[in-house]
Amino acid sequence: MVKRATTILAVLVAVALGGCGGGDSDTAATTTEPARSGPPVRIGTKNFTEQYILGELYKQALEAKGFRVELKDGIGSSEITHEAMAGGALDMYPEYVDLLLSEVANMRVRPRDPKAAYAAAKAFEQRSGFTLLAQTPFNDANALVVKPAFARRHRLRSIADLRRLRRVTLAAPPEFHSRFEGLIGLQERYGLKNLKQVVVKIPGQYSRLDAGRVDSARVSTTDGQLRKGDYALLADPKRVFAANHVAPVISRKALRSHGAKLSATIDAVSRLLTRSAMQRMNAAVDIEKRTPREVAVEFLRQNGGQP
Amino acid sequence: MLRHKLRTRITTKVVAISVAAAALLGTALIFLIVAVTGQRDAARTAFRSQEALAAAGQLENSVITIENGLRGYSASGLKRLLAPVNDALGAYEGQQRRLAQLVTADPIQQARVREIAQSIDDYLGLWARPVIRLANNDPADARSQFLSNPVGRARVEMMRSQFDALYKRERSVIQRRENSAERRSAYAIGFGLGGLGLVLAVATGFTMYLRRSIVTPVLTVAEATGRVAAGQLATRVPAAREDELGDLARSFNLMADSLQHSQAELEHSNAELTRSNAELEQFASVTSHDLQAPLTTISMYAELLERRHGAEDPESGPALVDGIRHATSQARALIRDLLEYSRAGRGRLRLEEVPVGLVVEQALEALTGSIEESGARVHVGPLPAVRADRANLSRVFQNLIGNAVKFSGEQSPEVSIEAKPNEGHWCFSVSDNGIGMDPEQSKRIFEPFQRLHGEEDYPGTGIGLAVCERIIAQHGGTIWVSSRRGEGSVFHFTLPAVEAQREDDRSSAEHAPAGA
Repeated sequence: MVKRATTILAVLVAVALGGCGGGDSDTAATTTEPARSGPPVRIGTKNFTEQYILGELYKQALEAKGFRVELKDGIGSSEITHEAMAGGALDMYPEYVDLLLSEVANMRVRPRDPKAAYAAAKAFEQRSGFTLLAQTPFNDANALVVKPAFARRHRLRSIADLRRLRRVTLAAPPEFHSRFEGLIGLQERYGLKNLKQVVVKIPGQYSRLDAGRVDSARVSTTDGQLRKGDYALLADPKRVFAANHVAPVISRKALRSHGAKLSATIDAVSRLLTRSAMQRMNAAVDIEKRTPREVAVEFLRQNGGQP
Repeated sequence: MLRHKLRTRITTKVVAISVAAAALLGTALIFLIVAVTGQRDAARTAFRSQEALAAAGQLENSVITIENGLRGYSASGLKRLLAPVNDALGAYEGQQRRLAQLVTADPIQQARVREIAQSIDDYLGLWARPVIRLANNDPADARSQFLSNPVGRARVEMMRSQFDALYKRERSVIQRRENSAERRSAYAIGFGLGGLGLVLAVATGFTMYLRRSIVTPVLTVAEATGRVAAGQLATRVPAAREDELGDLARSFNLMADSLQHSQAELEHSNAELTRSNAELEQFASVTSHDLQAPLTTISMYAELLERRHGAEDPESGPALVDGIRHATSQARALIRDLLEYSRAGRGRLRLEEVPVGLVVEQALEALTGSIEESGARVHVGPLPAVRADRANLSRVFQNLIGNAVKFSGEQSPEVSIEAKPNEGHWCFSVSDNGIGMDPEQSKRIFEPFQRLHGEEDYPGTGIGLAVCERIIAQHGGTIWVSSRRGEGSVFHFTLPAVEAQREDDRSSAEHAPAGA
């Protein structure tokens, strides 16, 4: 009697756990590759849209190749996420190369071009027991935009052109005020003293701009809002804003234990990620309110037939 | 077969009632046990839930302590603020294990605990430990995390909602268990009271049944038995029942019938006996009285015959007449003794306190002739006073002493009269050194007209000892002889001691001088 009750209980527990633990991550995986073994690949992401999408892209692609994946999304800033890697809580996460150098490696001097930046970042990671996989074609740089009409009226092509204006209001997140990739760099490199920051919470800058309440806004070059040409991107010839291509930071231990198939799969995904592709996917999530997962699955299906 | 069935009905009923009562009580008891056990289980589960709540509270507290400590350390850079964080980091795994052990009975809660454990792992691995490392490097870096991107707070908030769900379910479990425990307590009390009521009802019913169907009939029979014992032989009990008690009643009635019948028979034969006895005595006394007259006439005629015709045949005539005279006097003695025997032991005794010494003196006086003739020596020991009929007692002593002197053999008689007290009565003895008798003859000598010797050797009718036996028996005593041929005889008889008889009229005899 007791034995039977225990068995029933065990079955119930198993069912309950199965039902609870499944989540969305499992369903796609089970349809593709049944043979999963070994320790899971623990992918982390920072906590904003593009990172959520990147996390899902890598996860789906890896699961399609038979890897077991744990996606830990929304970890936080680069510093926290990188420290989580250092603490052994993660095997990889997609990071922005220049941001890695400035915020994590605390390099004060910016490399002269993206290639050098990638080399420096990879060297830094290798000192920490990690490495960088191939970087993406797209880069997610900070940038300044104005409305196209405003650009035409003032004949604005680059940030330097803003100097001609008497006063320029700029919608930007709070930290913009005190960063080199913000007012400090702009003042230093372009001598812009006429900028007036209006503090907003991202993505509030677009609506301010649309409503005409500000003249310009700080954006990211992969923002979905930019894909239809509603905003004019100002060039940055003096390179205040770093390029910030994305490269997955990955532990070498994970690479060793999972073999070449792991890096090959991740690199294959990274290669597909152009700026327009990233903009489209960001738009799908931020504007069309689809889930990162849906968007990632759809993208992978359209590009290379997987997952 | 049917008879047998009917006979065992009370037994069957008693067994059936006992079994039914036992079954009822047993059922009530089982319900009671189940209710009490259930209550205990419910209480135990509720207690376990309380413990689970406490463990979960500690775990949540640890998480909050870590988050607050980290914020404080990041803000101030003060290492000492890390102490509670490190304590909590050391303690949380144990708390988590304990919590997991306490919810093993509830799959949903187990799943929640797993979720919470996962959340805590994530919180620690993806926030708390990175923050500590950042802060160890430069507290400002950590501080900016709290200001610009406080993911930790969001994680803590999420865990709090997970904990809240856990608490809510556990509390509802406690509430449910408590309700169930209360319900079961109520059941237990109900079953207990019900069982008690049942016991009382069954006991009352059983007592009433016993009383109605067993005790009352038995009492009726007992009462009737008492009445029968008191002589009311016509008593009968109702015997309509068809069970064991019916049998008892019928047997009782049969017994009463038979008793009544035998008593009637006894009474009848008793009356018959009394009547025939009286007739017989009447006959004896009338006969002996009436026989005297012709005997007198015969001896008168014999006298006349001698006087008138004595001279006709002087040789044989007087001898023939002598024969007639002798036979006549013998017949007269027989008739006299028969009369005496038939009177002895009849009639009322005139009981008085008699000094036996005096009675013996009188007897010796009456026997003076034969004593002197035989040259007997009589020794009289100290004799007590008894309550007896003086004349009768005197006749007993005359008979016994007379016999002692008479059956003396060659030597001159030595007679001794003594008395010994013996347990409430006196034992008198009259002993002699005479011819004695065979022990097997010693019973026969107390029967009337039984003689051991010929008339020529020792004169007498053989009625004396029979009379003595009758008199002693009438006084409530016994008489016997111990003797051997040629070695003398000792006649013993008992009489109740005067002290014992005085017990009855103590008040009148109290002041009389002792041994008067």
